This record gives sequence, structure tokens and C-alpha cells, in this order.
Amino acid sequence: MDNKKIETFVVPIGPQHPALKEPGHFEFTVDGEIVTDATARLGFVHRGMEKGVEDRTWVQGLYLMERVCGICSHVHAMAFALGAEKLANVQAPPRAQAIRELVGELERIHSHMLWLGVAAHEGGFDTLFMLSWRDRETVMDLLELVSGNRVNYSANVLGGVKIDISAAQKDEILKGMDFLEERSRHYMKVVTEDETFLGRTRKIGVMAYEDARVLGAIGPTARASGVARDVRVESPYAGYVDFPVNIQLSDAGDLEARFVVRINELFESYRVIREILEKLPPGDLAARMPRRIPEGETISRVEAPRGELLYFMKSNGTDKPERIKVRTPSLCNWASVLQTAIGHKLADMPMILAGIDPCFSCNDRMVTIKTPANPDVWDWETLRQFGIEYYK
Amino acid sequence: MDTQELLQKAEELLREFTETTNQPEENRLDVYMAVENIKPAVKALLIDGKWGYLSAITAMDCPDYEIDETTKEKVAVAGKGHLEALYHFCEGAAVVSLRFKLPYDNPHLETICDIIPSASFFEREAMELVGIIFDNTPITARLILPDSWPEGVYPLRKTFKGLDKETKGE
Repeated sequence: MDNKKIETFVVPIGPQHPALKEPGHFEFTVDGEIVTDATARLGFVHRGMEKGVEDRTWVQGLYLMERVCGICSHVHAMAFALGAEKLANVQAPPRAQAIRELVGELERIHSHMLWLGVAAHEGGFDTLFMLSWRDRETVMDLLELVSGNRVNYSANVLGGVKIDISAAQKDEILKGMDFLEERSRHYMKVVTEDETFLGRTRKIGVMAYEDARVLGAIGPTARASGVARDVRVESPYAGYVDFPVNIQLSDAGDLEARFVVRINELFESYRVIREILEKLPPGDLAARMPRRIPEGETISRVEAPRGELLYFMKSNGTDKPERIKVRTPSLCNWASVLQTAIGHKLADMPMILAGIDPCFSCNDRMVTIKTPANPDVWDWETLRQFGIEYYK
Repeated sequence: MDTQELLQKAEELLREFTETTNQPEENRLDVYMAVENIKPAVKALLIDGKWGYLSAITAMDCPDYEIDETTKEKVAVAGKGHLEALYHFCEGAAVVSLRFKLPYDNPHLETICDIIPSASFFEREAMELVGIIFDNTPITARLILPDSWPEGVYPLRKTFKGLDKETKGE
């Protein structure tokens, strides 16, 4: 055997995915139980939004971009609105900026608790999954209370916000924060003390500081490796100038650290929400925005629950944008985690993948409808007519 | 280091590769450079200078426009103009964008995956959606577009207005 050929064995995972209820395809090359290479294929739910937004006005674009993600919808609308305001040289009033931060932090709580449940489920700890999702309903109800919606809150308009916080809503939110804070203390105890669960998280999926730095990991994934990257702290936007948050770090870099960092961020969110409600600045909710936006380019960065969200926006002087580039946090974290997956056991892959809190709608932005003759597919005019008839 | 110092440091690190610079916003620096400088520039900034991280690659189509006589609408002229690739590096509030102008007939850039392995996703995205060719990039398989998508059709080009019915399989 002179030319000894190394046989590789590829384990395909997905598109029906082991970690999340969303489609993504991974190919792990394995040597026995150990992963030696990893690649991904995304796009199973790609919706072509970057192209779509070029054919829509800035106002319509706001609604489209809010729908990039069903978990962190508010941060997308906020990034888009902040960027458009920068291009138009419009400053949203302080009360609007504070409410943007408030909704953003409520969204972070819901997203982190959702992740806590999913990650616990991947670790085979379904009790924690059910409990954290039960408690998450508290914050979902609060979001519904302030915005009327559980998913796309639609709190932003270009130039400010369209929702206000009443005294009764303030009380409800404070009550909710007290309850969630107590529950989060319990979760912190579980994820740092439960022996069986630690067996799945401690020293698993370690990403070293230098890897996280060079590979461009962001959000809680980076902060769990000690890389101090948080747009809210480094480049405060919206209300974060007046109501700053403290960065949460850990040096361990393993899965356990990602749990600890996210739960610590929950505590930080409860604290800042109380502070905002206490000192909510008075005044208008929105400033006037021009319909046409002057020619220019800007970069709008915000901290989504999964990490830095970057919008590159180019306007051309008309009422429609020239180019909107969306770079969502999951894409950066996919890239970095697939690099660090090498050398780990195949059985740890679902946990490692879930550990970055991956979001597919983040990356996949085209719906193709194959049969225009399908009676279930309505064109715009039919839908419009239906709406007019329905509300008559 | 405050944002202005960070931008200054980046400017110094990139000086020998720079053609022109521009500061469009207080926290941003655009550095235009020639295509062949991409790898040494990224290395100088990220590895030698330990400045920030690659946050995103924006691929953009910048065609020349003309006014259509009949519809009075602005339309992109096929083949005129250029593509542009922007490499955004972030550190704190500072954002440095390395900008490369690429002609339509030769939109080649050298890959930076050997310096930043995680750049593969960004390069694959720019390759599929805008049609920039990254020489020596390790993975060229489709990332986002469906397997049935025709070769050489780039949806984020301004001249792209949808696939014809036959290609769509209708």
C-alpha cells in the first residue's frame, strides 16, 4: 500500500435540522467520532429581501426589513430607521430613542429565554426547556401589551416610534421584570450547578480568545470567549447613550460560558428596563422625516440578541434606497463556530450549533411561488380589494 | 483609544496600499485601493496591526444610469459602470471600509480566506448574488441560491429584473 489514500466519511446533517426547527444543511467530515472538517449550505428559506427593498420606498422598506427575522424583528427595523435618519439628517426625539431601547431590551429577554429553552432541549434537558418557555410568555405578553403584537412589534417609524408607555403599562412591565429576575436566578443556578447538564456544556465547544477575535465572532458568542464586543457599549445608538448597559464577559469560551453570559445579560436588561421606565424623558414620539432621502452612504450598527447587526445603506436622492446590505449576526457566528467545530465529537455538534443561537431567517432573506395559476396565490390588486371589502 | 485615534491608526497601517481616502462620517474611513493590494492590506490591518475584525463584505453594483425616453424612468445601462466590493472592519465605534472598484469584464479579487477562514461565507454570498469572482477561494459551492438557478445570473445586479418563465419552470 504505497499510495495510501485517506478515506473520508461525510455526515450530512439537515436541511431538516437536528438543532433548530429551521432549515440548514451541514456536512461534517469525520474521522471516527471526531469532526475534521465542516461546511454549510444555507438559503433554503432565502427571500431576496435585499433586492426587494430596492423596489420599495423607504417607508415600505422599514416594514420589509422588520420581517427579516421573526425573533429579533425590532432591531432590524431600528437599524434601518437609524440609518435612514442619519442619511436624512433627522434626529429622533429622546423619548422615542428611550422607547426603542426599551423594546429592544424586552426583545433581548424574549430571545435569550427562547435560546435557553432550545439549548436545554438540545442538551436533553427538557424540563428546563419547558420552564424557560413558560416564563418567556411573561415577556411576550409585555411586548403584546406595549405594541399590540407578539412578533413584529412595529414600534418604529422613520423619525421615531409610534408607541408610548402609559403608567399602567409601566407597572405591568415592572411586575414582569421582578418575576423574571427571580426565575433567571434559578436558571443561573441550574446551568452552573446541575451535574448532568454541565457534562454537556463544560469545556465543550471551546473557542479561544484569539480565534474569536480573528474569525470575527460577535455577540454573546464572542463575549463568552472574553472578546469585549458589544455595539451598545462601544458605539451607543438610540437610547443607549442616556441609558448605558454594562458589558457581560466570561473567559472560559465554552458552552457553559455562553449560558452564563446570556443569563447575565438578562439581569442587565432587567436593570436597564427599570431605569428607563423610571426616567423616561418627556416629549414627542417622532420627528418629521422627508419622503425623499438625499444621496449618501451610511453604516448602521446595532446589537441584536445574537450580536452585532450591520446595515450598509446607500441612498440616491429618490424615495427608494439604492442598496441595502444586511449582515446578520448569525452569519459571522456560523463561520466562526464551524471553524471551531473541528476536533470535537460529532455527538456534540447539535449543542455546539445551538450554542451560538443560530437563526436561519437571519441569513435567508426569497420566496419563489412556482404556480401562478394556484388559486391560493393572490395578486396585489386582489388582496387590496379583499382588504377594502373586509373593512367596509 | 477614542474613535478618531483608531481611525488614524488604521490609516497609518494601510498607508502604503492606499490610493485615496475619504471620511464620509465621523466614525468611518473609506480607503480606496488597487485590487492587488487586498491581501497585504488585510494582513497589515488585522494580523500585524491587530485592528478590529472583518464585520462584513458588501458587494455592490454601480451601473451608469440613463433616462428611458418612453417611461421617463431611470434604467441601468448594461455593461457600463462597475462593481464594487467593500470590506468593513470594525473596532469599537470605528468602521474602516476597504473599497475595490471592479470592472464588469474582469471582476476578480484574491480570496482572503487564508487570513480569515470565516470570510468564506461573505465571499460565497458576493460571488452568487453580485458575480464577483474570488480567486483561490476554498469553497465555491452554492450557499444561498437554489441548485436550479442558472449560471451567470446575478440577482443583485441592477439589470436583473427576474427570471423568465421558462427558467423558473412555470
